[in-house]
Amino acid sequence: MLKCTINGVELEVKPGTTIIQAMNENAQKIAHYCWHPGLSIAGVCRLCMVEVEGNPRVQIACNTMITEGMKVNNTSEKVKDAVKWGLDFHLINHPLDCPICDQAGECGLQDQYMEYGKYNPEMAEAKQKKHKVVDLGPTVVLDSERCILCSRCVRFTDEVSKTNELGIFNRGDHAEIGTHDGKQLDNKYSLNTVDICPVGALTSKDFRFKQRVWYLKDSETICNGCSTGCNVKVYFNKEGLFRVKPKHNEAVNGYWMCDEGRDTYKFVNKEHRMLKGYKYAAGSWHNETHAGVAAKDAAEFLKAVKSEDIYLVLTGQHTVEEYEAMLETFVNTYKTKNVFHWWPQEAQASEFDGLLIRGDKNPNTAGLKQALAKFGINTKWSDLEQSLKSGKVKELVVIGPENFAVYKDLDQKIELFANAEHLVYATSVKVPALENCKTLKMATVIPLKSYIEKDGTFVNHAGLAQKFKKATTVVSEALTGTELAQLLSGKALQINPVSEKALFTAVSNTRPDQVTLDHRKKNEFVFNRGRL
Amino acid sequence: MSAQYNSTQTKYLSEFYHLPEFKGLEGYKKHGGYADLAKALKMQPQAIIDEVKASGLRGRGGAGFSTGMKWGFLPKNNEPRYLLCNADEGEPGTFKDRMMMEKAPHQLIEGMIISAFAINSKKSYIYVRGEYDDSINALEAAIQEAYKAGYLGKNILGSGFDHDMDVYRGAGAYICGEETGMISSLEGLKGQPKLKPPFPAVQGYLKKPTIVNNVETLAVVKYVIRDGAAHYRTFGTEKSAGTKLFSLSGNITKPGNYEVPLAFPLKDMIYGLGGGFKPGRKLKAVIPGGSSAPVLTAEEAERATLDYENLAQMGTMLGSGAIIVIDDAQCMVQCLANLTHFYHHESCGQCTPCREGTGWLDKIVHSILAGKGRMQDIELLIKVADNMKGKTICALSDAAALPVLSFVTKFRDEFEYFVREGKSKVKGTAFKGASHVEMHH
Repeated sequence: MLKCTINGVELEVKPGTTIIQAMNENAQKIAHYCWHPGLSIAGVCRLCMVEVEGNPRVQIACNTMITEGMKVNNTSEKVKDAVKWGLDFHLINHPLDCPICDQAGECGLQDQYMEYGKYNPEMAEAKQKKHKVVDLGPTVVLDSERCILCSRCVRFTDEVSKTNELGIFNRGDHAEIGTHDGKQLDNKYSLNTVDICPVGALTSKDFRFKQRVWYLKDSETICNGCSTGCNVKVYFNKEGLFRVKPKHNEAVNGYWMCDEGRDTYKFVNKEHRMLKGYKYAAGSWHNETHAGVAAKDAAEFLKAVKSEDIYLVLTGQHTVEEYEAMLETFVNTYKTKNVFHWWPQEAQASEFDGLLIRGDKNPNTAGLKQALAKFGINTKWSDLEQSLKSGKVKELVVIGPENFAVYKDLDQKIELFANAEHLVYATSVKVPALENCKTLKMATVIPLKSYIEKDGTFVNHAGLAQKFKKATTVVSEALTGTELAQLLSGKALQINPVSEKALFTAVSNTRPDQVTLDHRKKNEFVFNRGRL
Repeated sequence: MSAQYNSTQTKYLSEFYHLPEFKGLEGYKKHGGYADLAKALKMQPQAIIDEVKASGLRGRGGAGFSTGMKWGFLPKNNEPRYLLCNADEGEPGTFKDRMMMEKAPHQLIEGMIISAFAINSKKSYIYVRGEYDDSINALEAAIQEAYKAGYLGKNILGSGFDHDMDVYRGAGAYICGEETGMISSLEGLKGQPKLKPPFPAVQGYLKKPTIVNNVETLAVVKYVIRDGAAHYRTFGTEKSAGTKLFSLSGNITKPGNYEVPLAFPLKDMIYGLGGGFKPGRKLKAVIPGGSSAPVLTAEEAERATLDYENLAQMGTMLGSGAIIVIDDAQCMVQCLANLTHFYHHESCGQCTPCREGTGWLDKIVHSILAGKGRMQDIELLIKVADNMKGKTICALSDAAALPVLSFVTKFRDEFEYFVREGKSKVKGTAFKGASHVEMHH
């Protein structure tokens, strides 16, 4: 280990550590654009200037290795002046269109300007003109005038996705990012380029113009797109979720996530959600009921039949806690071991693209398997099919998948489940196939909470158990799997006492766009889309 | 007038350049060609390196770094290593390498084989500026001859040493004359300098140890072996040993390449060899070492000698030995505009201060030329240039900043006059290049 002093703090670092790595790992602030811990060193933005004792010139921290006894600072006037000028060079040709730029609020140029800038611009010449609204591919749009040519996106496609679509074309101040001839930025990880773009040059077609980032809150969770279990941040407000970005976890996903995983926020939003409980009987759907009422009704059905006529279907889309609660109810309360694992991607489960994407599109297959083993369940799907087709199944409870997009067999399975005398289908998302099913005998649909709306644990492909916390509530009436299990077992639901604050903010005479005390405190505003 | 000035060349490298036969193998051998290769192949490689070190030879491409010391940075192992000859010659005002390659391609090839033997390199490339058709043709022909004669290829002259050599044609970027930019270009990448460390001697072409030397430097190696380090040191000074080819251009009667010992007085170069000025004109300024070297005033030029230490003392540099002479009929604002335009055009665009700074400087100077200058622009030029210096991966940013700093500080009255009056202080100069800035679009 090497000893060094950075801004007066004594540190011990491994040999081969650069100054910027040491500062990054020890939460010291240093301005930088081109350096990214997950990419090679470019050394081109020239912003991470530091002063090393014994060297009269300031130098870049990203390409300077720490040596024994090195004394470094980035707080001297000399360094500040160098960074100020480095920033000015970045800004002279920048369009400064922050009011209409999606990056505003999380922009590297704005951040550093507040830290080192705040000067009157001296540039009186005409700015360089470059291409605007360049369509790089199906997911990303480029504004070359905003681009600071840090080359992060180019290095990402060269080094991480290894798809090599991007390059820097032309020279000097007319250089621009672009795609090589005949190529588009079209790969399964393309949106990472938007995350690592320190300015508003690359924007996501999905997210752009949807929200100003200061109207969003974020919360950490686990991506439920596949069995890798990438650590992510979800960004949301009262209108719902707007985007998912990766969160660094060296043991799971590094700095990245796939584009597919970023779409998982969509089925959490209200437009796709099952908002109420429904009942189907005597050939027609009945008026909506409260989720809890629907669950209690279902419990009455369960109590009325024999153990061997009760069946349960689970998918790898829910939490370990929910599985255990469900199994507790069915195995211990209703004494049935007719529990089945619905797993359409079983044959592709071992597929892996070498980076992050896995063939098993369930976040918690391993967790489900562990729970089933714990309760001594060892069943074959074909047995369920046989029982259903032969009309033996009286009560079938299905905890349906959240990410319906990866359950290609959903419609076909609904037809199969319809063979049960009474189907209890618990789902967070709307299931049109169920609604349109002609062969349905009797059914109860119960709305479930999505993964964003509950605490829990996912066990990933490697057996790593990752706990996550509830981020927000989208459908307040929906039940978690644990709550549902409790209600199905006939017990009353434990309701957490409502806090005074919640009561205060829940007053009914507020307009939807009204700023309440609670909102103001969190610096979050509620507004109706289109009104601002 | 010329009587009071020294107008004698010391033709050491260029002794036979006037003979057309020196270009071919037979003519070259007649005048001692490849004799020194035979001599060198019998020496210990380390002895050659030591001899070059002792000769005090410094890189002739511009930086003036000790050649022997550069070779010494190579790792002491058997890892494959490359020798690259930098013949990109892009520095405005420089045209000496072109003459060497056209007149004496074998001289360079022999110097390169000796150097390659010294550093144990089995492969070398000559990276030639793309516009140099004649140089490329001459080198290609000479390499063929050398292969046929057994000076290149396997087991050269029975020594057991193998060496292959190729010519690589550049595509016309100034930045590819920077050694790591050249390596990138040779690797088939965009010609952009690489971060240092690692230095090329440790990790260069194809990530292997690489030595990059200028044409003139490599040719000199032959003569150091022929005559020994001690003889080479009889030319020049302690710190600037040997002779050097200077490219003299600008407002001078007899422009051309001249070989003189280092520490040759600049005024002898201008008035002796260069033949002075047109009648009625007199010296105003000199750029002594290629366009990136800070300009000297007439008074400074009269005192300067052409060696590394004296020019460094005067705040400028010997560079590639390109002397651009400026007479009193020239407007310094326009001269600077020419240079800022060049660096704006040639910045590779990698590092922000250079990418944005070269354009900014160019735009400010052109604003002044267009009569739209503000008095604060003069100070701004200095501030911008100051903050481009020493802040980037390679020296192009410095090369762009130094002329600006020297022009503006030494000829400030001309810049102030232009801003105040909206026209040049020098009568009869009308600038026609103001549209340069917009040229790229």
